[in-house]
Amino acid sequence: MANIVNNLQRLDRRYLYALLILCVVAPFFLEFNPPVYPTKPSRDLFNMIQSLPEHSFVLLGIDWSAGTRGENLPETEAIMRHLMLRHLRFGMLAYSDPQGKTQGENAAIRIGKEFGYREGIDWVNIGFKVDMNNSLKAMDLNVPGTFSTDIHGNKLSSLPVMAGVHTAADFSALIDITATSSYQTYIQFVGGPYRLKTGIAVTAVMAPESFNYLDSGQIKGLLQGLSAAAEYETLVENEEQKEGHPLPPETAIATKFNNSSSFAHLLIILMIILGNAGMLIERASKRREQEASA
Amino acid sequence: MRGFSPWLAATAPHIQIWIGALCTIGLYSLLYRENKLYRFFEHVYLGLATGFLVANTWTDIIRPKWYQPMVDKGMWWYMFELMIGFYYYFIFSRRHNWMARLIIGFFLGVASGQAFQQFANDQWPQISATFKPLLPHAAAGTVKAVTPGDAINNIIFVVMVVCVLSYFFFSFEHRNPAIKVSSRLGRWMMMFAFGAIFGSTVMARLALLIDRMYYLVFSWGGELGAETHLGANGKYLACGVIVALVLLMIVLSRRYPDDFSAPPGDSGAGGGGTS
Repeated sequence: MANIVNNLQRLDRRYLYALLILCVVAPFFLEFNPPVYPTKPSRDLFNMIQSLPEHSFVLLGIDWSAGTRGENLPETEAIMRHLMLRHLRFGMLAYSDPQGKTQGENAAIRIGKEFGYREGIDWVNIGFKVDMNNSLKAMDLNVPGTFSTDIHGNKLSSLPVMAGVHTAADFSALIDITATSSYQTYIQFVGGPYRLKTGIAVTAVMAPESFNYLDSGQIKGLLQGLSAAAEYETLVENEEQKEGHPLPPETAIATKFNNSSSFAHLLIILMIILGNAGMLIERASKRREQEASA
Repeated sequence: MRGFSPWLAATAPHIQIWIGALCTIGLYSLLYRENKLYRFFEHVYLGLATGFLVANTWTDIIRPKWYQPMVDKGMWWYMFELMIGFYYYFIFSRRHNWMARLIIGFFLGVASGQAFQQFANDQWPQISATFKPLLPHAAAGTVKAVTPGDAINNIIFVVMVVCVLSYFFFSFEHRNPAIKVSSRLGRWMMMFAFGAIFGSTVMARLALLIDRMYYLVFSWGGELGAETHLGANGKYLACGVIVALVLLMIVLSRRYPDDFSAPPGDSGAGGGGTS
């Protein structure tokens, strides 16, 4: 027993890494899908998009890069899929990182093929911009004048997707998918002043501090990392089945990632319990030794 | 690229996947210990990210917004923007640094003005949302109903806000028993919040690992399958490679125990782990 406790206390961390990697990879090959129960913040974001009239224009902030792809990509894909299912137009803007424009473009092209969405007609990639405060202030008054062209150099004002979109007041909703505090700037300069329906999708690290905005009504819905992306994907999947456009199983990456996440969390919880049990047993045996020697 | 080399254009997506896989494996080699392979790929990644930022700032902002209007459309007065930008560098001149203060003062003024709007749209709605009804009541006009459950939630919320605020009263010593208890409670509540943030951080970091493993198994596995005629079974080959690398890490870990896990006084043959 003392040996086991000793080994637990001095277990090389690399064995834990090895176990963790195996726990992450194994679920990719298992036909095991634990049930996903959408939470209220995810349902609220879903309902916000559901409430928009067809062909409304939604501004999508893509403020993430490869460093948070594991969380933000499933969120982006689930939200884009919902926008396309609802026949909504959208425009993408990247402020926090230039990779955002490429990541957003790739996702829109990939999912757009399933729904027959065409660039310039149903969606537009405005690209990477800097100086978020001043840029958003200018955009509030004149969207095509501020950004001029999309990433391919096409004049924004000539694109069918931008029909009727002149100022920020013409947006039907704003969703920022982000790994930074960019959502706060959107709330400060666009969502707040124009009383726009605003939703955000953040990384799990940012979730606790984002709840303030949900509680105060400054945002209507919130996705908090990978688990919320899986919740949103489930909601969209249910809607797609109703519409007769079932989601191809190989595209449900949020749910797949969530399975691996569940297994990995189980391992971490188990290791925390074992590590603490080892520590408590060792402490008790040391106390006994001290008492015996005294 | 298509005009330059059709072969390269056709092969580029496959090369990208291979480079992505090698970078992923190279970066995760840190899990074994700090090593040169990891250092190399770390620098490659940082260099790429910085280069990408600089290139995109030119292609997406400076060229279409400044260079093209000035050179192609004859808007020559745009050159003054560059000159005004150079004013910043007068900060290095003792004699002319007043010129730098002109431009700094301008942007400081703009930022200060915006700060009012930022505060009004960001913090004020949160302050007003802190005032919550503490007693249950039925809906009346525009006032929403408050159920007993809502009332309990609101009471917890208000108590937490007051306790946390009392922790930050630094103007006087916390001798009063009421302040003492509430500030201690406030500290505990903040600890709960930090615990929630830490728990979320674990989930966030796991998501990144899952994404990379998914990439190796399915994207790189697809490439392996195409090249080895295994087809869709390439993912099993990629999985086999991952398992082999994990086993290699275990074998090397047994041979060179980690400094942090070795018994006191025995630093192992190599040690050198990173925290």
